[in-house]
Amino acid sequence: MSDQQGEDQTLERPNRLRYGRFFLLLRCPRDGVVAMRDLQLSLNQTQRVRLEAALHELQALAPAAASAAAVTVADTIPVNQEDNILKGHGTLDRDGEVVATLCGVVERVNKLVYVRTLRARYKPEVGDIIVGRVIEIAPKRWRLEINFGQDAVLMLSSMNLPDGIQRRRTAVDELNMRTIFEENDVVCAEVRGFQHDGSLHLQARSQKYGKLERGQLLTVPPYLVKRRKQHFHHLEQYDVDLILGCNGFIWVGEHVVVSDSEKTSKMEDQKPRIELETFTPLETRKHICRLANAIRVLSALGFTLTVELIIETAEASASSNIEINDMLGAEFYVQTAEREAKRRADLLKKGGAR
Amino acid sequence: MHLLGRAPVIRRGGRWHTQFPAMSSSAATGTYSPAAEAGGKRREKREELRRHLAEDADWPRADNRSFHECREAFLRTGATTAASGSAYAEFGKTKVIVSVFGPRESKKAMMYSDVGRLNCNVSYTTFATPVRGQVIILELIIVLASITKGDLPIIISCASLALADAGIMMYDLVTSVSVNIIIDPTSDEEAWQDGSLMVSYMPSRKEITQLTLTGEWTDGKITNAVELCMDACSKLCDILRNHLKETANLASE
Amino acid sequence: MVGLSEGEKHFIRGGIAQDIRTDGRKRLQFRALSVETGVIPQANGSARVRLGGTEVIASVKAELGKPSILHPDKGKVNIFVDCSPTAEPTFEGRGSEELSAELSVALQRCLLGGKSGAGAAIDLSSLIVVDGKVCWDLYIDGLVISSDGNLLDALAAAIKVALSDTGIPKVTVSVSTASDEPEVDVSDEEFLQFDTSSVPVIITLTKVGRQYIVDATSEEESQMSSAVSVSVNRHGHVCGLTKRGGAGLDPTVIFDMISVAKHVSQQFITLLDSEIAAAQAEE
Repeated sequence: MSDQQGEDQTLERPNRLRYGRFFLLLRCPRDGVVAMRDLQLSLNQTQRVRLEAALHELQALAPAAASAAAVTVADTIPVNQEDNILKGHGTLDRDGEVVATLCGVVERVNKLVYVRTLRARYKPEVGDIIVGRVIEIAPKRWRLEINFGQDAVLMLSSMNLPDGIQRRRTAVDELNMRTIFEENDVVCAEVRGFQHDGSLHLQARSQKYGKLERGQLLTVPPYLVKRRKQHFHHLEQYDVDLILGCNGFIWVGEHVVVSDSEKTSKMEDQKPRIELETFTPLETRKHICRLANAIRVLSALGFTLTVELIIETAEASASSNIEINDMLGAEFYVQTAEREAKRRADLLKKGGAR
Repeated sequence: MHLLGRAPVIRRGGRWHTQFPAMSSSAATGTYSPAAEAGGKRREKREELRRHLAEDADWPRADNRSFHECREAFLRTGATTAASGSAYAEFGKTKVIVSVFGPRESKKAMMYSDVGRLNCNVSYTTFATPVRGQVIILELIIVLASITKGDLPIIISCASLALADAGIMMYDLVTSVSVNIIIDPTSDEEAWQDGSLMVSYMPSRKEITQLTLTGEWTDGKITNAVELCMDACSKLCDILRNHLKETANLASE
Repeated sequence: MVGLSEGEKHFIRGGIAQDIRTDGRKRLQFRALSVETGVIPQANGSARVRLGGTEVIASVKAELGKPSILHPDKGKVNIFVDCSPTAEPTFEGRGSEELSAELSVALQRCLLGGKSGAGAAIDLSSLIVVDGKVCWDLYIDGLVISSDGNLLDALAAAIKVALSDTGIPKVTVSVSTASDEPEVDVSDEEFLQFDTSSVPVIITLTKVGRQYIVDATSEEESQMSSAVSVSVNRHGHVCGLTKRGGAGLDPTVIFDMISVAKHVSQQFITLLDSEIAAAQAEE
């Protein structure tokens, strides 16, 4: 194919959806986030038209202010020089002008002007609930990968011992660390803060934190998970635990009963159970997979992940008799985008009526 | 200590009936070249082999073997002194030396691991056409002193003998045999094969540890060939076993 | 390399035993396949194949060469695989050497057939231009761009698609009386298509627990005891087979796996053919 032809085609159809990487530019109305995700799908002609229409609508719904605040690298950030502004993260002085060094949204807090990045790695804040994976056991501490620039540290002293008694940690406890968490274990914890040496520390001082078993871990871009009051969700109707880690690690697994006193005995019976290969009940497993696929679809479309939206998507697939695996097919992607566009339009109407 | 293992002779009821495609020999052009001459000779030889096969006669192979007969095997452990275990095997004209070094601590070990590593290195001596091996935890050095093709199964069998000699824990002695249309091919025979199949087998556990296959095969052929190889492997394993026992007896005396 | 906790491993094994894998697939179900042809303009034929999170490119280049002395009536085919560091940081430098070599050998075994050419993907005698003097050398290169398991099947599929996309320039041979060397004139307008009907696909059955699955993700592959890759052509004939993984297999299990692979392969070939047709129509 000659270049000439290639150009013609591109002119006709800006997005070669069927095979090319297709970039979505979405703007969420609530928080004004511009999200860009690449989506790889084999769409047919109708699906392509429908998806374009849905995305167009989503874009139209976004408030204009959001796109104005968006900057890319080397963009000038308009400031009033007489205000003695403070140049924060992601900004640089160039010939008296403030320019952005990051792609993101300009935030202004009093005199401080900074750029909040959208597609960067996770940036921990104190109190965040995160899901991480143990990568190393060091003296008195575990090191965890949490999708941050450095490994997080969970001190043996920062977590409740399995026996639930508050006491000094002994040398024996230190030797038995591997019985609590071993390498590759998935652990849920809370961000405690940065220590003086610059390392990030975690804590797990409650029975709700700890090892996660019998389920799957999904990784999504961290900006899709917003900080909320609740990150642990026990979905009773499915008998499933859903943990939306602020770092973009999402756990979907079989529900585990947490009770302070019986924790010890329970952990001990679990070992032989695993050896007997008693698997997750089939119904629960179907729910886990359906929820997981809902999360995969939503994150590929670049929608903010909330527990309501995840459940709604999973329910929608179940009620229209879509097989779990077919949720990853083109048709369901398009349906999900259309549903979200409609939902946001409805939301806006209600807001306007009020 | 130089014990001569008897060659396993395998005979089975069924024989390979193989259809050969018509030769596509667009016989060399009129010009003379030594290469073309050699090619011509090879072709003649192939034709002869094919004729034999087509007649389904139990014709003698180039080295006077019958169809399902393996080459004469000579096995011996302790071929080299520096290694923790070693073995020498001679299958017809193929001669293999395998040395095992280790076990020792892995230098590459960066992470906690519950599995070891077996590093193999095979080298062909320059005069034959040699094998050298390296094991992170176990080092296996294999030197092929003299080559006829079809040597991989022999290396595998010889290596398991060497590992046993080194006192390494194993599930079973692994033996290996390959089959083309005839069992245990020499390099000439391999040159015109339509397909080959190699089986490595742990006879006492009845488990196949490796199976490779090339060429076009029907189901029945695969089943037959695998069974034939498994049978040959069991017999070869018995020989290895006997040899190891005898050496052990000699050592204890 | 994927590190998984005991709980996750148990969950994966359970899913395979219960016939619902982590993404909802059944044991013998493939991930979404997408195919694109003509991705590398410099090559005679090329294809990109995406199988879920696994993405590979195959390119076919044809160069004029001299046939080997052993096979004066045949062309030559070389298959190489490279794993790009874009797929995994560990592939940087020499990190992917072992894997690349393993994949190359497996592909050669499964696609090049026996020494006589039986079961080969390409009829080598069709690559001959002048007997004993000039032939086409095919360089088939596979590149792993993104790796999420089942690389071998994806590479074999990409090679099949790339070959169906390949056009070999038409050549006219004129023997001049002065010298013995034939003169070869390569056309840059007329191309000959390959007959790819006999090119096999590779179906890898990965054994996890007592069951085996097709198109394993890298997480599933970390749980395998062994895997058998069977290459099967359109006629249902097995053209190559390799086994990976430390665990031994019972012979009856292997025979069973071969027959399952044959069954699955026919569906996969049909799917691949329709994707090839769609991709070529798109182009």
